[in-house]
Amino acid sequence: MGQDIFEITINAVKLIVIFLLMVQAVPILAWVERRGSAFIQNRLGPNRVGPLGLMQLLADAVKFLNKEDFLPRKAVRMLFYTAPVYALIPGVIAYCAIPLGTPLQIEAFEMAGKMWGPYTFAMQGYEIGVGIVFILGVSSLAAYTILMAGWGSGNKYSLMGALRASAQIISYELALGLSIVGVIMLYGTFNLTDMVLAQQGPMTFGFMGNQVVVPWLPNWGLFYQPLGFILFFAATFAESIRLPFDLAEGEAELVAGFHTEYGGFKMLMFFIGEYAHMMIAAGLVTTFFFGGYLVPGFTPAEIREFVAQNIASTPNGASAVTSVIHLLAYFVKFAFFLWFFIHVRWTLPRFRYDQLMDLGWKTMLPWALFNTILTAVVIYVAHNFA
Amino acid sequence: MTADAFIFWFLSLVAVMSGLSVVMMANPIYSALSLAMTMVSLAALFATMGAYFIAGVQVIVYAGAVMVLFVIVLMLFDLREETKAFTRGQISGAIKLAMVGFLAGLVVFVLTQGVKLMAAPDVVDAAKLPEDSSKALGLILFNRHVFGFEALGVLLLVVAVGTVALARSKGGTHAKQ
Repeated sequence: MGQDIFEITINAVKLIVIFLLMVQAVPILAWVERRGSAFIQNRLGPNRVGPLGLMQLLADAVKFLNKEDFLPRKAVRMLFYTAPVYALIPGVIAYCAIPLGTPLQIEAFEMAGKMWGPYTFAMQGYEIGVGIVFILGVSSLAAYTILMAGWGSGNKYSLMGALRASAQIISYELALGLSIVGVIMLYGTFNLTDMVLAQQGPMTFGFMGNQVVVPWLPNWGLFYQPLGFILFFAATFAESIRLPFDLAEGEAELVAGFHTEYGGFKMLMFFIGEYAHMMIAAGLVTTFFFGGYLVPGFTPAEIREFVAQNIASTPNGASAVTSVIHLLAYFVKFAFFLWFFIHVRWTLPRFRYDQLMDLGWKTMLPWALFNTILTAVVIYVAHNFA
Repeated sequence: MTADAFIFWFLSLVAVMSGLSVVMMANPIYSALSLAMTMVSLAALFATMGAYFIAGVQVIVYAGAVMVLFVIVLMLFDLREETKAFTRGQISGAIKLAMVGFLAGLVVFVLTQGVKLMAAPDVVDAAKLPEDSSKALGLILFNRHVFGFEALGVLLLVVAVGTVALARSKGGTHAKQ
């Protein structure tokens, strides 16, 4: 966590802030989802409580907290109560590993008669060398939540929904994992920060001994891995069990799937878990394919220099302003993909189950394999034939 | 007790307890859940030793595999019958107990003999380990142990094909009871 009490405190605060950021983003996303869906369907949506209907969320939160705590007669008590709590954990832990901005550098200073620092705080919960492997591993644990909820409810609809969801998650995890192998090969690292930094500046790559520069394009992964991007993005929809892949809920046939028996705040926790998965997906797409926290056209070093000359004169201030600029750039991209998730949900119809399985096993998996092999061949040719 | 030692003992305790509950639980559902718990605590133990890549792969591969086991338990077992089969019968119970004793004896024997065979451990300074050991791991795997690695892949493929062939030879999903 850190060398001394100051660093440990700041790192602990960072974890709490990122957790709160995720939880606080949920009501806003729910509002966007309701209002957005209303406008897509040519109606107004909730607009009575507060300005633009924003206070509706507060009313909803109070309603959720005051609902009766209900346990079905045939439920398994421990699993039934553990599942909603567990729904939150993997999502939050995985999101903490995604870099949100350039690290904040603080020079040595004196406080309480002692010298402290210098410190470097990464703009993320914690930095892990094997970023992608960690995130994939932790978020794959989320499938247990669904099975625990489905089994623990003691309800046939819940169990059917849970089985559908787990089969879907297992199927699409393969395509998801394979679609980013190309990205890993391209950047040659598992570390998310290194991946982001590899996407700086204009598009530059070495091909057969020549250095090719395309000045009007940023050096983003999207332009190297277009197929990987499409596969990854589609697989994340299936992993977070949202439309068009929300067979697990299937209101028409399964009531609400694995959370049929849940009400009040327990239901809300599943809801937060689902949004957490959306956030991880949006964060990962941003990091892999859209330059993470980078501002297109400017490298972090250039921005830092500009800030130091024009805005903040002290090194600490310059570092802080640079971090904030990159944080904003990250959140613009992040918000765009979250909006994309919501827009797709209200645009596309639900798949049939056999179509879902066909898409996963017979379309996405072979294309992901093809993308992996193609990337390997292209990298080999570009590096070894001069 | 340092923080590292505390984390080690805590994780070991969780791993051993959940590992024991895999075999002691009467309901296969809880066995599967405990197995997942064992895998996760083992992964955490790997992470405390600085082997982050192995830890991540442990979670992805084994936790995913246990998921499949879980689903199979749900879909194929008649849980009431399974619970009965595990708890009824005095003679078969005695045989099971004897088997457990035999297994425990075997484990103790292997451990004591194994300790004698082990070379003195190299003291590894954790600070000197590279931050990202996955590259070194990949090089070893694909250079020195490439035959074993590929042979293992073929073995797994054979198992997968064999399973499908066996299932289909008995009629697959359309089998008559």
